[in-house]
Amino acid sequence: MTTLAHPRGAKPSRLSVGRIGLYAFLILSALFFLLPLYTMLVTSLKSMDEIRQGHVFALPDTLDFSAWKTAWSGACMGTQCLGVRIGFWNSVKITVPAVVISVSIGAINGYALSLWRPKGSNLLFGLLMAGGLIPYQIFLYPLVRLLADLSLYNSVAGVVLVHVIFGLPLVTLLFRNYFVAIPEELCKAARVDGAGFWRIFLEIMLPMSVPMVMVASIFQFTGIWNDFLIGLVFAGRDNLPMTVQLNNIVNTTMGERTYNMNMAATILTAVVPLAIYFFSGRWFLRGVAAGAVKG
Amino acid sequence: MRAKRRRSLAATFALLPTWIAAILVYIGTMIWSVRLSFTDSTIFPSSNYVGFAQYARLFKNSRWLASLENVLIFGVLYVGGCLALGFVLAAALDRKVRFESMFRTIFLYPYAMSFVVTGLIWQWMLNPTLGIQATVRALGWQGFVFDWIVNRDMAIYTVVFAGVWQGAGLVMVIALAGMRGIGEEQWKAAQIDGIPVWRIYLSIILPQLGPALAASGMLLSMGVIKTYDLIVAQTGGGPGYSTEVPAKFIMDNLFERQNLGLASAGATVLVLSVVMAVAPFRYALAMRAGRMGAHR
Amino acid sequence: MKNTMKLLVVGAALAAASAPAHAEDKAKAEVMTSWTSGSEAAALDVIKREFEKRGGVWKDSSIAGFGAADAAFQNRLVAGDPPAAKQAVLGLANADFVGQGLLRPIDDIAKAGKWAEVLPKSIHDLITYNGQVYLSPTGAHGESWVFYSKDAFAKAGVNGEPKNWDEFFASLDKLKAAGIQPVAWGGQSWQESKVFNMILLTQAGMDGFLKIYVDKDKSDASVKSVTKTLNILGKLRAYVDEGAAGRNWNDATAMVITGKAGVQFMGDWAKGEFVAAGKELGKDYGCMLAPQSPGMVYVADSFSFPKIADAASQNGQALLAEVAMDPAVQVAFSLKKGSVPIRTDVDKSKLDICARKGLELMGAGRIVPDQALILSPQQAGALNDFVDEFWSNPSENSAAAAEKFFAIFE
Repeated sequence: MTTLAHPRGAKPSRLSVGRIGLYAFLILSALFFLLPLYTMLVTSLKSMDEIRQGHVFALPDTLDFSAWKTAWSGACMGTQCLGVRIGFWNSVKITVPAVVISVSIGAINGYALSLWRPKGSNLLFGLLMAGGLIPYQIFLYPLVRLLADLSLYNSVAGVVLVHVIFGLPLVTLLFRNYFVAIPEELCKAARVDGAGFWRIFLEIMLPMSVPMVMVASIFQFTGIWNDFLIGLVFAGRDNLPMTVQLNNIVNTTMGERTYNMNMAATILTAVVPLAIYFFSGRWFLRGVAAGAVKG
Repeated sequence: MRAKRRRSLAATFALLPTWIAAILVYIGTMIWSVRLSFTDSTIFPSSNYVGFAQYARLFKNSRWLASLENVLIFGVLYVGGCLALGFVLAAALDRKVRFESMFRTIFLYPYAMSFVVTGLIWQWMLNPTLGIQATVRALGWQGFVFDWIVNRDMAIYTVVFAGVWQGAGLVMVIALAGMRGIGEEQWKAAQIDGIPVWRIYLSIILPQLGPALAASGMLLSMGVIKTYDLIVAQTGGGPGYSTEVPAKFIMDNLFERQNLGLASAGATVLVLSVVMAVAPFRYALAMRAGRMGAHR
Repeated sequence: MKNTMKLLVVGAALAAASAPAHAEDKAKAEVMTSWTSGSEAAALDVIKREFEKRGGVWKDSSIAGFGAADAAFQNRLVAGDPPAAKQAVLGLANADFVGQGLLRPIDDIAKAGKWAEVLPKSIHDLITYNGQVYLSPTGAHGESWVFYSKDAFAKAGVNGEPKNWDEFFASLDKLKAAGIQPVAWGGQSWQESKVFNMILLTQAGMDGFLKIYVDKDKSDASVKSVTKTLNILGKLRAYVDEGAAGRNWNDATAMVITGKAGVQFMGDWAKGEFVAAGKELGKDYGCMLAPQSPGMVYVADSFSFPKIADAASQNGQALLAEVAMDPAVQVAFSLKKGSVPIRTDVDKSKLDICARKGLELMGAGRIVPDQALILSPQQAGALNDFVDEFWSNPSENSAAAAEKFFAIFE
């Protein structure tokens, strides 16, 4: 078996068996990963008659974009026929603040838990990890009562708060892992200089952790944007995110299902996270290289 | 050596909101849930205590028992599958291939999609009369069979496919970054010794990625318990109970079946099992981190 | 928790009592339904337009999926912020809400509209709790239908509609021989339960059916009926394709629409799919009652009215209750939704054959309620579980399973 060059070495100039095998594996894997997306796209461009024929992987006979238009601006949920468009801004209003706040708190938590470790840190971290393993449904009732008592029910602030609380385990885990790898001398030196908790955080740690901020933000963005249950229960009636709209289009129980429109609506709902993944891939990798990697 | 004496007040203060959330929300909810599991609550909480009756009902319920078994199978295979596939994909991409960035995006995009509809797609693709089996047969292989999704014993594995499809990319990115962080010298040394590439990955690189993969495993595990959308969209818990999971059991009983008491009992059992399974693991990790910290 | 609940309720009631509904307060209503698909939304629109014509202000709150809608609704109740009206199935599912004092009675409107005279007695009983009317029914869906593709029948040489189970199975055999999938089956527990009930009605008869579900009767006759039902259900397995597990009901209807399958057991909402595909009743497809069926299983929807403090909403609730039961609205609603009007005194001329037959049966009292109306949600769920288990287990013995059936009621 030929010894292949290390990734940082010279690029292999000829195709060896191993190399071909490698590409074959990658391409096959890529096909596996792309298959569902392909099916969704193809279905969204077919007419319902074609879809009823049941040939899931077949290319559409004719390219029919009407489903896309309907999904964006004409799909009906109840008597309103405005498409997923109306949920878009609600999703933005909910996701952006939730991501900013939860990542900030996560960074502070990670920093405090790893570099300062006040009393009870291990307990708190353990609680958070345990809490992260509990399914959401259990929290619904008590949280609804709590938010109602705080008059936060049926408001964007309420939904954001719930998302922040549920995001705590994940972001704390990420940042704690990140900061644990930072050499202690850095922190010690700063303290000798007289800097306190917040100054060290804002002037040294935070700037250093930009890659991790990107990673955590991307994770949180995806999770919150795609969330359905929390938006359904806590946003009340006026602030429903796009995913609830999507559910209304896709999950009717006893009505007809227009699959082509459902697929189009799903892709539209996923466009924002997909775009973020697309454009931030580089940051993601850099951030992960810097931090989440370490145990 | 950390100044153990000087406990910064600021640090404790900074953690206060999280403490409040942890105690009020996590602990508070669990206590409330546990209390309810001892009552006969239907839609609304009641104060009529019935001892362990709900738990008895729970464990006589074959749907619940199946759900526990399923989440275990799914969890192990899903986390294992994501870690394995993610690692292998990362190793492949680490070999300086063309279009690495494109491949990376292809492997990562599933994580951006919600399961509400991707679950349905998987159902179509795996359905013997609509999807892969039908297509392969149409291409000529008449005897090809791939009907796991309608088979009670095999259906749970189809859910694993969809899960790994979504989660492997995550592990891949984490592993890839780790691999890029491994020093040049190690490679050179291994190659001088004439070790084949695949063994380098397995015996040298993989162990070093241990902590990273463990962290990924933790992230993935958090997703396993919460698995709900995937099941509802892909199989609806069927055929029969064969793909039922605890989160779905709890959700169904909470609202549709108006049985708060039973749902709470299920939730309590679930959380207890998870804590019992994970606690020793976390404890060990914490000890290790503590020891590592002391050696700085 | 209970005391806080009581406080909330008392608070709402006090607020409701102390804010007399002024006639000048414009009627407004936030209506929460699961009617999100094309035909359902069109039907809801009928009610909305009449509501607005009479001066009301309508706000839509639709959540697809009964589970999600229930989740949203119950949580809003808990938070003290309920919608003015909620789509609700008749019967037992609402009992708890009434018991907790969360729903508002509409007895005055029912009496004014003489509902007791125009509704079949069994239905009027299901909208009444503790002697007062709480629900305003919108329409009924028949669930004892077998839809069939005329094309498929012609190809297989099946003439006319089979009159009993033996003829039915013979037709299925003919379809199989002609290479057509005999039964288009959707392997989801709720669908399987509906078929189970359809068959049970034919085996137990109207009284037997009610005895089993309402009286929880376990006599030999009842056990025999259930056993026979399971036998027939089990026989159907041979006529179902392997891709049936988990299939959505409308994907199964698509099989009948395209002529790939012969029959489908489904409720009358399936007509919506046929209409959307441009198929004509009587020409492309037909509807028949399940073989030997003495009547029809039905499920009915209505609006329930949570207690709400705001005067305008209270006016809205009253107006909505009236509008939903208006004869013209009932017909127009049914036409869009594929359901049957729940009033027996409506103008039948515009209804299609299936709906007319359904209305006839209703008028004659030959209807029995679906389990959602007479079983608690827990029991209804247990029934789904039971049928699903039986169906997915071909080796299960009908007699043994019949014993397990009665465990549902515990």
